[in-house]
Amino acid sequence: MDAPFSTENKLKIVSKFLLDSPPGEVNDVFNDVRVLMADDAAFQVGILGALREYNTEQYTTVKIDDEEVILSKFGQIKDKVDSYVDPKSRQVFEFDHLRKITRVIEPHPPDETTEPLRSAVEAAITDYVKDHYPNGVSTVYSTEDETITIAIVDNKYNSFNFWNGRWRSTWVVKPESGELKGSLKVNVHYYEDGNVQLNSNKDIEVSTSTTVENPSAAAAAYVRLIGKAENEYQTALNESYIELSENTFKSLRRALPLTRHKLDWDKILNYKIGQELANK
Amino acid sequence: MAQSFVRNQRSYEITPTANTIFPYQSSHTQTYKILTKTGPSNPFASYFRKLLTELKMGDQIECALDLMRRLPPQNTEENLSNLITLIPDHHEDLLNNVDQPLKVAKCKTKNRDYLLSPFNRDGDSYRSPWSNEYDPPISDGILPSPKTRKLEVSANDAFDTYRDMYVLNLIENQSYYEGGISSAYFWDESDGFSGAVLFKKVGDGVRKMKGAWDSIHVFKANERGRSAHYKLTSTVMLYTITSKPELGHMNLSGSMTRQFETDYPFDEPSSHIANIGRMVEDIELKMRNLLQDVYFGKTKDIVNDLRSVKSLVETQRQADIQKELLGKLMERKS
Repeated sequence: MDAPFSTENKLKIVSKFLLDSPPGEVNDVFNDVRVLMADDAAFQVGILGALREYNTEQYTTVKIDDEEVILSKFGQIKDKVDSYVDPKSRQVFEFDHLRKITRVIEPHPPDETTEPLRSAVEAAITDYVKDHYPNGVSTVYSTEDETITIAIVDNKYNSFNFWNGRWRSTWVVKPESGELKGSLKVNVHYYEDGNVQLNSNKDIEVSTSTTVENPSAAAAAYVRLIGKAENEYQTALNESYIELSENTFKSLRRALPLTRHKLDWDKILNYKIGQELANK
Repeated sequence: MAQSFVRNQRSYEITPTANTIFPYQSSHTQTYKILTKTGPSNPFASYFRKLLTELKMGDQIECALDLMRRLPPQNTEENLSNLITLIPDHHEDLLNNVDQPLKVAKCKTKNRDYLLSPFNRDGDSYRSPWSNEYDPPISDGILPSPKTRKLEVSANDAFDTYRDMYVLNLIENQSYYEGGISSAYFWDESDGFSGAVLFKKVGDGVRKMKGAWDSIHVFKANERGRSAHYKLTSTVMLYTITSKPELGHMNLSGSMTRQFETDYPFDEPSSHIANIGRMVEDIELKMRNLLQDVYFGKTKDIVNDLRSVKSLVETQRQADIQKELLGKLMERKS
């Protein structure tokens, strides 16, 4: 095991902190942990892995030919570190996670067999994202075993008013069986004179009997299921907010005592005596 | 006093050193400056604790506190212990400056629960407000003067009643209700005394929702003839966890801090208890309303800003129609 104060262990800790960065605040966390690490030589080399993981896990977006693309493990080129596919523009680009520089390096011809369905899903998802995500970005990938993976991200940063938020959706479609597996994640940070965070996630499985003969019909069926499932989740989240506020919060602390009046502090010690008498 | 405020304010304005080696610059440099003035690590936030420890804030502490304001409050304890590993020289400063969920211990002498905090800690021992004894016992633990201890004893009684009124009997027919715990700790100052009033209430997990409320009120009292001046820093930590099939998993947690300063009439030492009581009651009501707005209002609005259940295209279409109708109406009028 590493000694607790070894460079390796410190890097492990600062990497974990970086991965826990709230939406839109990774640069601030980066600057903080750099000062805490107080070893720039080790930090510069050691933090790269965490930055890479953060960007791909959190669906950081980059611009390729003026269109936004998501960075995710689904687009990562095997054996080529920091190279990602943009399935829409059919190119491979490199991303420097430390310097945040994007560079297109080569064309990436699509897989002939899966491309018709992938691009049909891409078109349907693009419309869907426009219809439900004010700042949404989506990328649709052909992934292993002829699956199609949809990544959606919506960020809203308002650090001027001390809040930031991120919604991420991931849907893996198995066209053969018509099964869809979804994973939805919402993170909100509110930090004016405090630090309040919402972390919510849900895993979903749904399926359709629509076959893949007609790609646009299949894509439309997937998007209908996705829209329904995501609306249900969001509705449940909104309802949970109401329940938390009306039940959970009240059960922790009342707004006023049962008497509906604030306490008479001049007499408070008498209350105590009164209560003790009442209990006898 | 005013000078200490300024000194603390200055120290908070030190932003992390400019990043010259890496091009990975913060895009929020300007925001950061605003944050340091009014954010939770603003000069007042842990003002009293700084007074207590005569803390000299360094860059690393600045960054550690900024980091704690950003990292998930759900992992405060783990994050704090990792921070201590990173900057072990600041061990004490971190423990005294980072609010953690309050822990509960049982007073062996009086067989009664009390709350552990930096305010009753001396080394690895904690003082029970019920017996005034340290556990594990230490011979040279800091104790309040007899006069201050007398006030502390009355304060513990008074806030125990307060807790009963606000936490117990929440649901009238539930006599088994766990009513939470309160503790008050006072200590002497050269020009008066200071204290901390603490409450903790853990929810019972009904309706698949778990919750906890921790409030920490730290005050400094100065007698000024016929009146007394009080400065109060209050932090409330609220944790809620919900798991249900249709919702999945939801964790809404965190803390908020506010300051309050006031004068109350003062004639005898026991006036302090009533004055501090009124002050704590007022700010707890204010903070409860604030938490209601922020936790269940603001963060919910943000979720619905990220995604819209309703069709945005349809909403836009209706807005356009309305605009067109309005335009035609205006035309007719003119």
